[in-house]
Amino acid sequence: MWTVASYVLRKRLTFQNRYPLVLMLEPLFKCNLACAGCGKIQYPAQVLKKNLPLEKALAAMDECGAPMISIAGGEPLLYPQIGELVEGLIKRRKYIYLCTNALVLKEKLEQNLFRPSKYFSFSVHMDGIREDHDESVCRDGTYDIAAEAIREAVKRGFRVTTNTTLFNTAKPLNVRKFFDEMMDLGVEAMMLSPGYSYAKAPDQQHFLHTEETNRLFSEILSNPKKKWTFNQSPLFLQFLMGKQHYECTPWGMPLYNNFGWQRPCYLLQEGYAATYTELLETTPWEQYGKKSGNPKCADCMVHSGYEATAVNATFASFKGFKDTVAATVRGKP
Amino acid sequence: MADEKSLQGWMPTIGGEMTLERIIDLAFDYRGNTTIVKGDGSEVTGYLFNRNKSAKEPFIQYFDEQGNGPFTLPYSQIKTIKFTGKDMAAGNSYAAYLERKKRQQETGATAPLNAAEEEA
Repeated sequence: MWTVASYVLRKRLTFQNRYPLVLMLEPLFKCNLACAGCGKIQYPAQVLKKNLPLEKALAAMDECGAPMISIAGGEPLLYPQIGELVEGLIKRRKYIYLCTNALVLKEKLEQNLFRPSKYFSFSVHMDGIREDHDESVCRDGTYDIAAEAIREAVKRGFRVTTNTTLFNTAKPLNVRKFFDEMMDLGVEAMMLSPGYSYAKAPDQQHFLHTEETNRLFSEILSNPKKKWTFNQSPLFLQFLMGKQHYECTPWGMPLYNNFGWQRPCYLLQEGYAATYTELLETTPWEQYGKKSGNPKCADCMVHSGYEATAVNATFASFKGFKDTVAATVRGKP
Repeated sequence: MADEKSLQGWMPTIGGEMTLERIIDLAFDYRGNTTIVKGDGSEVTGYLFNRNKSAKEPFIQYFDEQGNGPFTLPYSQIKTIKFTGKDMAAGNSYAAYLERKKRQQETGATAPLNAAEEEA
């Protein structure tokens, strides 16, 4: 928290309006699942076989300078140099979230590829209770495998969080039950987001629209249990519930992969820049976000666009700071 | 979109509203290999992952079929692009998954539920 706060304050005090909060790194596209709501892995074989060279991955981190990194994909545990990558990032004192479906996590833990660190968390993809999760990832049995891997990681002293994507099929009571299950498994905190309607995702019917998102998250979060902990800005959760109105910060969580720096954001794929500076300086930012009228942004409320806005709002005004403190003290977004 | 008709197999020719810029945009959105026909008649097959039409000299970037690259090619050297590779975003709909799952439950079979797994 302090690291992020001091980073944001430093940027604001030096009048830097556009800065990255989290580097989204995709070291590969290959995955051992093919989820219906995912638009990230539909590539021909030669692209799926490509791994981002380790030195390029670390150079991207150094180049953008974000205090946090989310290693996504594809399935990052299939990246041959994942151990070295995590170690290199820990040495740089970056806060790392390794996003995994956990299907091979137990096996990797047994190989001692990683060591516990305050900088390093597994962020396990869990979309709901057993039935809902398995349905969401299109394979039976994945919930049980992931839950067992979470137990093992917690037992070995690793920090473990979860990341959950919700679609319009989500049932609030099931989601609340799921939060109980995750906290009981020993996860440190949970992260939530509505799904984004990727043009290339196989399932186009179940993405949420803004009003549906507000309704769903209000039903889930209006009366939160004390034991639930979220790894997110309370203002972002309020935004999902319709209590805050924000504009997108597309440069807040820039994406780097084998193609380069993705324009304009983690979700939209409209081209690539060779360097982070080129991304910042040559992307027509005014063409993105709700205010722009871009239909691709109309219903997007995904954390990769709005979490950075919410964090910035905390430090940009007295109201933002007051709302954050109030929600934290109240234990309720 | 998943329910849109796939461009797989399309061999566009430039004319009328179909400009080279439009074909390049469609190839950029296409999730499969394409064959780039150059001005000199030579062809190269690969995955077109980037295009920049607002650069001083507009260009595309691609990885070839072996995964080598990235290679950069200016628009001015491209005659057309053929959609020769399989569309990896097509034919793997959620409805198809549900259908496969239902079939498995009925027959007790343990075949892969994802089209991607079937191809692996």
